[in-house]
Amino acid sequence: MFGKGLIKGLGITGKHLFNRKVTEFYPEQKPVLPPRTRSSMYLDVPKCTACGICANTCPNNVITITSGKDENNKRVLTGYTMDTGRCLFCGLCTEACPSKALHTTTEFENAVYVKDELLWDMMKKYKADASKQEEGKDNG
Amino acid sequence: MLRTDEIQINIGPQHPSTHGVFRMLANLDGEVVTKVESKVGYLHRGMEKLAESRTYPQFIPYTDRLDYLAAIAANIGYVQTVEKLMGVEIPERAEYLRVIFFELQRIASHLIAAGTNSSDLGGMTPFLYAMADRERILDMFEMTIGGRLTVNLPRIGGIIEPPEEFWPALKKFVDDLPGMIDEFNGIITGNEIFQARTKGVGVLSKELAEGLSITGPVLRASGVKWDVRKNAPYGIYDRFDFEVPTGENGDCFDRFVVRLREMEESGKIIRQAMRDIPEGPTFAKVAKVVKPPVGEIFHRVEGVRGEIAYYVVSDGSTKPYRLRLRGGSFINIQMLHHVVPGWKFADLIAILASLDIVLPECDR
Repeated sequence: MFGKGLIKGLGITGKHLFNRKVTEFYPEQKPVLPPRTRSSMYLDVPKCTACGICANTCPNNVITITSGKDENNKRVLTGYTMDTGRCLFCGLCTEACPSKALHTTTEFENAVYVKDELLWDMMKKYKADASKQEEGKDNG
Repeated sequence: MLRTDEIQINIGPQHPSTHGVFRMLANLDGEVVTKVESKVGYLHRGMEKLAESRTYPQFIPYTDRLDYLAAIAANIGYVQTVEKLMGVEIPERAEYLRVIFFELQRIASHLIAAGTNSSDLGGMTPFLYAMADRERILDMFEMTIGGRLTVNLPRIGGIIEPPEEFWPALKKFVDDLPGMIDEFNGIITGNEIFQARTKGVGVLSKELAEGLSITGPVLRASGVKWDVRKNAPYGIYDRFDFEVPTGENGDCFDRFVVRLREMEESGKIIRQAMRDIPEGPTFAKVAKVVKPPVGEIFHRVEGVRGEIAYYVVSDGSTKPYRLRLRGGSFINIQMLHHVVPGWKFADLIAILASLDIVLPECDR
C-alpha cells in the first residue's frame, strides 16, 4: 500500500518527540568536556626549560620562544608566544614536551574580535592565572 | 515539439546541496540536463607540496584536513604507509584499536551521508537524527584524543590508548547500532517519496564504474564486489569475518542502501575486535626522529568514500621527497559527466547527494 512507509516514518518521528532531549542550551548550560580535550593551550612557566622541542615539533611554526641566561648561566625562558591563528590544535607540541610544562586545556571560548589577540603570550596568561588564584586564596 | 534554447546555469560553489565548495555548470533544455561540467579546486591547499616541507609525523594532522568527515581513515592510511616504508611492526593491541576507530569513523561518516542524502531530497528530520547518533561517536573520539573532527589519532608506530570510560560507551553504541539502522530504514529507505526520487535514477553501470576507476560504496552499489579490506587486506583485516554489501542496479537508491548495510558490517567488525583485543602496549619502539630509508612505497586503504592511497618517495631525510595521495571523492565525481545528461535538474541533486563527496579530499 502506498503511504505505508510514510506513516511508519511519521511514527518514528513521533517517538522521537517524546525521547530525551539531546540538545544543550549553550551558553546558559556549559558542556562538560573530557579532560583530554584539545581546545586551548596552557604553559606551566616554572616547569618550562626553554628547550624549544615544542617549537620544532610544530608543523606550522606557531610557537616562538626566546630565552636568556640567569646568574648561574642556566637557560631561562624570557618569552613564549603562540600564534593561534595558525595553530591546528593537533597537540603534537604537548606530546613532545619533555618536562610536561605545555598542556592542553578544556577551555574552548577562544573567539576574539581583533586578529592581534590571536597571538597568545603564554607567560602573561600564566601570570594572570596565578594572580587570579592568589586573589581566590585571599578571598577564601 | 517546441524546441527552446538551452540555457547554462551555474550551481555552487556556495550551495548547501553541493556539500562544500563544489561548482557545476549545467546546460538545461527546459528541465532536462543536457550536459554538466564540474569545476573543482576551490579548496586547493597544495597538500602534496605541503608534505614536502613537513617532517613525517608533522604531516599527520594535515591528513585530518583531507576528508573532514572521515579524518581517521586518512590518518591511518598515512601512518601505515610510513610504517610500511620503515618496516615497523606495531603491537597487536594497536592494530585492533586502529580497526575499531577506523570502523567507528566509517559509521560516523555514513551516518552523515545517509542524513545529507535525505536532507538534499527534502527530508530534514533524518539528518538531525543522524547528527545526534554521530555525536556519540565524536564524543568517543573526544574522550580518547581530544579532537572531534580533526582527531590526529594514530602516530607512526602506534595509537593512543583510549581511557577506561571509552569501552562502556563503545559497547553501548555497538549495541544500539542495529536499532539506529532500523530507524533509518523506517524513516528513509521505506519512505515512498524517497524511493520515487531515487529508484532507477542516475544508474551507473558496472562497466562504466570500473572504467572510471570509481571506488568505495559507489562502485559496490553498481554490483562490483571490490573492497580493499577483503581483496587486498591491510593491517589485520584478514582476521575479521564480514560481508561486502553490493547493490544490483547502481542507482541512487542502491548507493544509499549499500552505505546503510556497510554500517551494519562495520558494527560486526567492531564487535569482533572488541572480543579479540589483547592487552599490552599500543606503541612500537620507533625513534623520536622519523627517518625512513631511501626508497618508495605505495599503500592503500579502503576509505569511507573510496580507496585512499599514498605514494611516498623518501630520500632518507626527515621529510618526504614526494608524496602523492589519492582520495575517493575526486575520482568519483567523474561519473557526473557520464550519468547526469538526460536526467531532470532535480535528479542532478539526487545523484550528487548519493555520491557523498567531500570537497577538501577532492581538491586537496
